[in-house]
Amino acid sequence: MNVWLDAALISVIILGLFIVASTRLATMIQIFSVQSVILGCVPLLMYAKDLEFFIIIISLAAVVLRGFIMPNFLFWAIRHVSVRSEASPFIGLGTTLLLSGVSIVGSFLLASRLVFPVAISSDLVVPSSFSLIIMGFILIVGRTKAISQVIGYLLLENGIFLFAILLLKKMPLLVEMGILLDLFIATVVMGIVVNNISEEFNNMDTVELSTLKD
Amino acid sequence: MNIFLLLHVLILFIFPPLLLGIIGKTKAFFAGRIGPPLLQPYFDLYKLLHKASVYSVTTHWIFRAAPMISTAAILSAGILMPIANLRPPVQFGGDIILFVYLFALARFVIILAALDTGSSFEGMGASREATFGAFSEIAMFFNLTILALLSRKLSLSGIFLGGLSSSWVLVGPVLILVVVSFFLVLLVENSRIPIDDPDTHLELTMIHEVMVLDHSGVDLCYILYGNAVKLFLFSTMLVSIIFTFRSPDIFLNLVLFILEIVGLAILIGVVESTMARLRLNKVPYLLFSAFIFSIIGFIVILVRGH
Repeated sequence: MNVWLDAALISVIILGLFIVASTRLATMIQIFSVQSVILGCVPLLMYAKDLEFFIIIISLAAVVLRGFIMPNFLFWAIRHVSVRSEASPFIGLGTTLLLSGVSIVGSFLLASRLVFPVAISSDLVVPSSFSLIIMGFILIVGRTKAISQVIGYLLLENGIFLFAILLLKKMPLLVEMGILLDLFIATVVMGIVVNNISEEFNNMDTVELSTLKD
Repeated sequence: MNIFLLLHVLILFIFPPLLLGIIGKTKAFFAGRIGPPLLQPYFDLYKLLHKASVYSVTTHWIFRAAPMISTAAILSAGILMPIANLRPPVQFGGDIILFVYLFALARFVIILAALDTGSSFEGMGASREATFGAFSEIAMFFNLTILALLSRKLSLSGIFLGGLSSSWVLVGPVLILVVVSFFLVLLVENSRIPIDDPDTHLELTMIHEVMVLDHSGVDLCYILYGNAVKLFLFSTMLVSIIFTFRSPDIFLNLVLFILEIVGLAILIGVVESTMARLRLNKVPYLLFSAFIFSIIGFIVILVRGH
């Protein structure tokens, strides 16, 4: 049992819960940044015994891109927005926490039933990736501000990344880099959308989008 | 062997108010004051013992019995708990459940007494206390379940007298979850600052203090002493989870234990000095996070099949 890997995965789940439970946008972005840095270290911890060069590269790319560039970009996107917190989410905080708790339990149950073709170095990897994905979905569905939905999307992507780490030895570097690029472009696009919404409507509530008519 | 039992009971009876004194000193240090002397809680208790009690004419025997019952319940919880690696006077399989419910009994009679006064403020405090107590009990039980699963023992003395010695190496992260969750439960159960302010007497925001507004004299002394013992027992439990190392020498253990528990009291004082009290409607989130910490730990233990 790798204690450090366990510690990293458990803290990733708990930071995910903190993101889901917080309403202030800046706090969400900061916690996301910390979570991504920890997540970026997971490949190093998981393959600590036979460390290869491309694993270090992927780790480094994940830490830099997810942990620093994207949070900075998100901060850039909200720099002019006056509303700094999620005032009226679709799903209340208590319900969100409860749903996340249920999703974590569900992920553990689900992961214990699945059979994987590759050897899994820690039995916490799959459940934590599932729970991150579901928490990301909850954020996307439950929040009204575009930026929290972007954070939900990023959280979901973090979960996918965690799952992909399992296949790191089989998956070519190119695919991973492609995912990172996708993610980066998606964030850029969403950032521009956020900016445009806030310019048009003086806030960045996506509810406004449903009343658009031409 | 008997001398050790006596030592255990002596620590349990005499030490607790000192913790409050240490917390008070720490807070005074942060505020830049000299603060009351370390032994001030003892003086307060002594003073209260010599005062007569005033009883409202609307109260019944419940109001008079509650302080005694609650203090007795908390002290009986104390004789189940190993202190400084000293074997407790009473131990049997399953006493963790009795331990938690003795605290619940203490809380229950205090709530009854608060309702008995007929004051609307006290009724409000009683309602809050009951709500938060219901939340923290779940987290407490999950934590104890994790500890019981790890040590494969169902008694407090089994868990804390060596049952956890290898767990930090095997499942350290889970124990960190338990410690964090338990610390939150400790703050809630003893109505310390992020949840409740034990010093102010603003009725609108208080939880625990508002319930004992009508008690005076000896009754108030019982309640304050009972609270001190409760804080001491929770702190003992927390340090017993964190520091599993115990030497065979009984006096070295005692010194280590006192150092650890004083450290924890200082930590509580620091938390109280640096944090503001949470808004009342945020407290359930804090409790809920304590619950989620413990439940994640519980799931991990189950998955590992430890």
